[in-house]
Amino acid sequence: MELADVRNEIKRGDLLQMYFYLRLTRTLEDRITALYRQGRIVGGCYTSHGMEAIAVGYASALERDDVIAPFHRDMGAFLIRGITPGEVLAQYLGKRTGPTKGKDGNVHMGDLKRGIIGFVSHLADNLPVATGAALAFKMRGESRIIVAGTGDGGTSRGDFHEAMNFAAVRKLPVVFFCTNNQYAYSTPLRLQMAISDVVDRAKAYGMPGEIVDGNDVAAVYLAAKRGIARARAGEGPTFFEFKTMRMHGHSEHDPAKYVPPELLEEWKTRDPILKAERLLVALGYGDETYFHEVGERAKKEIEVGLEFAEKSPLPEGPEVLEGVFATDADITHKAIHSRSAA
Amino acid sequence: MTTATPQATGEVTYLEAISQALDEEMTRDERVFLMGEDIGQYGGAFRITEGFLDKYGEWRVLDTPLAESGFVGAAIGAAMMGLRPVVEMQFADFISCAFDQITEVAAKNHYRWGAAVPMVIRAPFGGGIHGGPFHSECPEGWFFHSPGLKLVAPSTPYDAKGLLKAAIRDPNPVIYFEHKFLYRRIKSTLPEEDYIVPIGKADVKRVGNDISVITYGAMVHLALDAAQMLAKEGIDLEVVDLRTLAPLDKEAIFSSVHKTSKAIVLHEDNKTGGIGAEIAALLAEECFDSLDGPILRIAAPDTPVPFSTPLEEYFLPKTADIVTAARTLAAY
Amino acid sequence: MATDIIMPQLGESIAEGTVVKWLIPLGGAIEKDQSLLEVETEKVDLEVPSPATGVLNEILVKAGETVAVGTLLARIDNTAPSEVVHRVGGVVVRPVELAAPGEEHHSPAVRQLAKEHGVDLTHVKGTGTGGRVSKKDVLEFVSRSAPAGNASPAAAERSMGEEVLPLTQMRKTIAERMVKSRQTSAHVSTVFEADYSSVATFRAGRNLTYLPFVVRAVTKALRDVPIVNSSWGDQGIVVRKDLHIGIATALEDGLLVPVIRHADRKGLTQLGKEIADLAERARTKKLSPDEVQGGTFTITNHGGFGSLFSTPIIHQPQIAILGVGAIQKRAVIINEAIAIRPMGYLSLTFDHRVIDGATADQFMAKVKDYLAQSHWEQIL
Repeated sequence: MELADVRNEIKRGDLLQMYFYLRLTRTLEDRITALYRQGRIVGGCYTSHGMEAIAVGYASALERDDVIAPFHRDMGAFLIRGITPGEVLAQYLGKRTGPTKGKDGNVHMGDLKRGIIGFVSHLADNLPVATGAALAFKMRGESRIIVAGTGDGGTSRGDFHEAMNFAAVRKLPVVFFCTNNQYAYSTPLRLQMAISDVVDRAKAYGMPGEIVDGNDVAAVYLAAKRGIARARAGEGPTFFEFKTMRMHGHSEHDPAKYVPPELLEEWKTRDPILKAERLLVALGYGDETYFHEVGERAKKEIEVGLEFAEKSPLPEGPEVLEGVFATDADITHKAIHSRSAA
Repeated sequence: MTTATPQATGEVTYLEAISQALDEEMTRDERVFLMGEDIGQYGGAFRITEGFLDKYGEWRVLDTPLAESGFVGAAIGAAMMGLRPVVEMQFADFISCAFDQITEVAAKNHYRWGAAVPMVIRAPFGGGIHGGPFHSECPEGWFFHSPGLKLVAPSTPYDAKGLLKAAIRDPNPVIYFEHKFLYRRIKSTLPEEDYIVPIGKADVKRVGNDISVITYGAMVHLALDAAQMLAKEGIDLEVVDLRTLAPLDKEAIFSSVHKTSKAIVLHEDNKTGGIGAEIAALLAEECFDSLDGPILRIAAPDTPVPFSTPLEEYFLPKTADIVTAARTLAAY
Repeated sequence: MATDIIMPQLGESIAEGTVVKWLIPLGGAIEKDQSLLEVETEKVDLEVPSPATGVLNEILVKAGETVAVGTLLARIDNTAPSEVVHRVGGVVVRPVELAAPGEEHHSPAVRQLAKEHGVDLTHVKGTGTGGRVSKKDVLEFVSRSAPAGNASPAAAERSMGEEVLPLTQMRKTIAERMVKSRQTSAHVSTVFEADYSSVATFRAGRNLTYLPFVVRAVTKALRDVPIVNSSWGDQGIVVRKDLHIGIATALEDGLLVPVIRHADRKGLTQLGKEIADLAERARTKKLSPDEVQGGTFTITNHGGFGSLFSTPIIHQPQIAILGVGAIQKRAVIINEAIAIRPMGYLSLTFDHRVIDGATADQFMAKVKDYLAQSHWEQIL
């Protein structure tokens, strides 16, 4: 990325905002990891450590009424869409004040009012669902779009292919992405696929594809903007392969000894926060003092969130029986139709 | 017995009733749209959507790629965004390709994060048409077990139309099991005006005092035939048509068995772990003191649906089975 | 798999045969070579053996019918039980063994019924499979052993000449109240004859029936003899100050007594309107509960179908009820000459616990006098 391009195409305020969210995501997930190690969070604990630029980059490129169908390494996107750190922590702690009221755990969150489709653990299931949302936008002549993605492992599933195909056939306003962090749990890329670049699949389904440095938040942002513009213009789906590295284990219980240490060492130097700081310094938008300040702000927000979460009540046993079926009141048409009308 | 309201016109088949329901709902509510293989240009494998493409256009009658998981997932996404998709499985047998999306995404969505999925999946099920293992299956048992789904199975044109409308208007995912054997074999007159058959309510198709036959789908007609034969011998069957499989109309089932004290549960699906097993268990739990005989189950044996005619005939429950079972139970 | 049973040719020139008797009932099991039916021709009577093992599934020609040789008589379903077992679960394939005495096993329904009706199951004959006592057996036992006097309508024998009409709630209530009232009060009736001429004169051209006039006369008489407007109480006779007059109203399936409150404060026209309104609403079941409560005296207009006088039953907790008989033109003696006057009997049933005949008659005399008086225009 040329510095001049960044300066011209990204507003200073937006870039600083993205930096803030990188720090917020990192701080939040580090805190979650700490709580997990203290035994205060139970169940699965999946973070996007070292991959934050992807979610922050694409989520920053959205308009208010757009929707996302994320997967479990997209914490930054949840935060940008308006899920507060307090709600995230309440969710992890299984409290009633989280987005699922204790019904589901960790990053399995969703909220139609904030334009987030809650995902399931079956990777790539979210992609056909995303095409359906895009179909609705197109059928109703709306200018909304949806961004949806999965990991390298997720692209091996049939649903990935069925979704890509359907979106291309019907020219749906979807931006697909693959967070290629090179490992699906312990499965390295070479055992996952016979190709080296997931982007090769885009052409197979009849849509344009690009490789993007997933650790460069500006690059991700601009790429997302391109894909989104195409979608909004009715040109159909685009596919991005965001290249990155999974710096922690599959989940926090996984020491990931199967990852060669030199790979991790190399990618540490490409840490998305470091990269963003270098960029900001080069552009003259920020310095060490500023970065420290942002760090403090992020820390404060997390503390406030944690306090909220810790004070929140746990759900009670009988609540298990609630919510199996929807009622007509749940079809909040206004919020679904357009967030600005909510 | 559900009664037809006045101003009924002409007789329609079970298949035409389904077609009418789709047509009327699509006219009534612009959010309703169809997805499925060969439903547009071709009019559907069973011709149910003939003429719909011309009437509603290609964006409301979508010919999908051969990808059940993909297009059921898409239906879920569209439903969450405020539309009312009705997905057609060409044969119920292919629903297994979408099992994951149905049971993990659609069924659990509202429970987990409050998002409603007002989607209908139409599944032509059942055998007796020489379809073999992959065109004759009764898969309702698998979905019966997934909290969050509603399942319906009409046996008459009146119920077929009314239940499909109710399913489309329900804010939850509904799987609509239409019995392909009945498509052109039964006809009746239908009311002209709009009506629905409520989900969750069984219908006593024949009132009787001696034995309750609890059943659904094409088997309802076998039970009624058996009832006619048995009436000559002084055995009076009560035929309870479930109409909705999930949630079960327990009140109707229990009140019938409280009255007769004897029950036969009948379905075309394989015996082990079919819905009949649940009903038998419920009767033992809730109606024990009223029972004057063992609860009998009549169902297909535990095999895939065979192709060759003598095999399929042996496989499918018959009127004679019901007669034999009823005679024995009556004499018990 | 089914086997056809046809009318056999029992001799060279025989063209037809008669089915005498089926030896196996419909639905019964039969073995190959076992005798299935008796057939008769001109020349011979014999038993026909079954060509197959199975179940006699269909009988097409009944006993006593004569058919041509070769006619299809019946069908045997020879599906062996083992073929059915995969589809039908339960007692069909399990043989039911006869229970040894003392080891009888009773179904839950049978046990429940026995408990409800206090039946000792060892006394009940079982007609179910294997001699088992069935629900039907218990119900029949109960109906047979119910003593004649206490036979419930359900258990009583039905003969062809009877029809049982189920009791409605209203009928049950009326029955209960009528009997109870008679058991409570000491019912005595006294009958007076009233001259309605001045009422008739006054009525002419006005939209009023006779009843408002009777109500007016009654309210005035009750003011004169207040003890008639009372109730029997444990502490003493409760004389009521307010006059709420109930008007017994016949319905299609029973009767109701809507009340005119403070009838003494209402003019004739108003009384007329209220009587009509209450009657209408009683018939269309639109009365509210407080409109049928709180009466202090009741009038029953029984003369509608021609009844002259009656002995009405007191409407508890009141102590008197006035029956208004049919008003007819009669020849009466007035001033030693025969005159034709509209006359009607008034029958008062009173509670002799509270008042004696003299008081009752005193009251009635007042009613009669008030009806006969002529200045009705003063009390419109």
